[in-house]
Amino acid sequence: MSTVTKAPVHAVPRKHPVRWKDIPSKVLIALILVIAAVIILLPVLWMFLSAFKPAGKIIAYPPTFWPTEFTLANFERLAKRIKVVFYFRNSVIYALLTTVPSVFLCAMAGYSFARFEFKGRNMLFILVLATMMIPFQVIMIPLFLVVKNLGIYDTYSGLILPKLAVAMSIFMMRSAFASLPKELEEAGRIDGISEFGLFFRIFLPLVKPTMITMFILGVNAAWNDLMWPLLVTGSTKMRTLANGLALFIGSDTTEYGPAFAGAFISIAPMLVLYIFGQKYFIEGTMAGSVKG
Amino acid sequence: MVQAAGRRKSKGLKPRWAPYLFIAPVIVLMLVFNIVPLLMCFGISTLDMGMTFNNATFAGLANFREALGDWRFWNSLVVTLKWTAVEVPLQLITAIAMAGLLRRNTRPNQLFRAIYFMPVICSATATGIMWKLILHSNVGYIPYIMKLMGLGKVNFMNNPGITFYVIVFMSVWKTFGVSMTILIGAMQNVSADLYEAADLDGCGKLRQFFQITLPCIRPTLWFLIMTRIIGSFQVFDIVYTTTGGGPNYTTETLVSYIYSRGFGDVNRMGYASSLSIWLLALILFITVIMYSFMLKQEKEG
Repeated sequence: MSTVTKAPVHAVPRKHPVRWKDIPSKVLIALILVIAAVIILLPVLWMFLSAFKPAGKIIAYPPTFWPTEFTLANFERLAKRIKVVFYFRNSVIYALLTTVPSVFLCAMAGYSFARFEFKGRNMLFILVLATMMIPFQVIMIPLFLVVKNLGIYDTYSGLILPKLAVAMSIFMMRSAFASLPKELEEAGRIDGISEFGLFFRIFLPLVKPTMITMFILGVNAAWNDLMWPLLVTGSTKMRTLANGLALFIGSDTTEYGPAFAGAFISIAPMLVLYIFGQKYFIEGTMAGSVKG
Repeated sequence: MVQAAGRRKSKGLKPRWAPYLFIAPVIVLMLVFNIVPLLMCFGISTLDMGMTFNNATFAGLANFREALGDWRFWNSLVVTLKWTAVEVPLQLITAIAMAGLLRRNTRPNQLFRAIYFMPVICSATATGIMWKLILHSNVGYIPYIMKLMGLGKVNFMNNPGITFYVIVFMSVWKTFGVSMTILIGAMQNVSADLYEAADLDGCGKLRQFFQITLPCIRPTLWFLIMTRIIGSFQVFDIVYTTTGGGPNYTTETLVSYIYSRGFGDVNRMGYASSLSIWLLALILFITVIMYSFMLKQEKEG
């Protein structure tokens, strides 16, 4: 009943003809939105185009926006100056080998919290909560020493292992599993499926969207991570793009062309990920705030 | 046969080990790489040591006392608090305004949202390099435009008076999309009936925003204020990739200074750890104050 009576009310503002006094504010809003979009997009576009400009054009005065000729010289020079191919490979390895195991391990932990009653559950939950409250910057020095004393400094293990357990992912997986009906495991157990079979074959496929969200956010976070690779890698062969480029360009930029090329290489893959996985970025960002 | 029947029966029950087995890897990782380092931090802060535990000597509270007389520590604290006071409000006001304009799910709005969120996915390294080049006096586009407009020459990245604000701008540019996205989510949960009633009363859109939207999303606003303030104490990436703390330490945040004591010009792990304890204490202090204030507000509201 109530929906029926509501319907005409709802329709009123929509059927409203254009009100002349609204037009100035509408134009103003559109103007604000477009200017903000230009401030966001233009620098990125300028950098992308500059990465393909010949060195002479980059330092030319007046500066150009659209390149008259496209060249890959900046990328070649970048590759000569730093081991950018290694950096790129290391970034891919760091992003994938951190995120894939992390998604599974955090899913397992979230499943345990959501679907089992067990002794010590609250205590373990507080432990996970505590790790979320401890900022990485506070523990980075002892963590560096732990990794060094475990003998995994400047290795992929050292880079990856400390980043596998992510409290936020565990919470997300916990709420995803908690929303599934109780009958699922009962049916599975009656069929005699093992606990791991139950998890991997029945439950995990049902939380696929959450897993994809975690995967995409995780890849992005690892790809852009600056601090941990900066601390835990020592040799040039182990550096990732984020810290390798930061070390190369330093606080005084003089090699403009390679700097543009480096920034391009760092952003372009994430931009592709964003174009295809925008929905997951937004969902993940919103999920992170639900707890508040 | 008996064995098989027994196994079958045990599978029908919830095996008592299963939850522990599922959770064990994560807990072990957290203990080794989160909890142990946190506990170690207190121990290391009482040591005088370099990159290794060899030659470490017990220093008691000397590190903490040294910090009290270290002008760079105080300077970094002031820079950090300035960041909190300037960057957090700027970022949140931008995010609130944009979220308010883009609340409705129309096609153009979705496009603008996608654009505004884009910098969030870019690395701080690339963002830093990009802005540094755009503002660069030799190759940058902005100094050129300023010259065309007859404005003077400004050295954006090396001016003690303005470089801090330039980096604040970069940070807002890069991160307001997160707050905006969270706020849009919250604004869309506000009941449409409230707006309809206000429309019928002839209440203007701007007044609706302040009198309906903002009060209704107060919990989300509190959450954002709290997380952004805590986040502002951890600023490092954007500083490291642009100025490295300069000029004259005017952009050296607390975390930048901790990094410089531990891994930068010197390797004083003990002293750097004592600074980390100050950072932890500061964050806990702010969290407790904000949380109690928030609870009080919610009770009154």
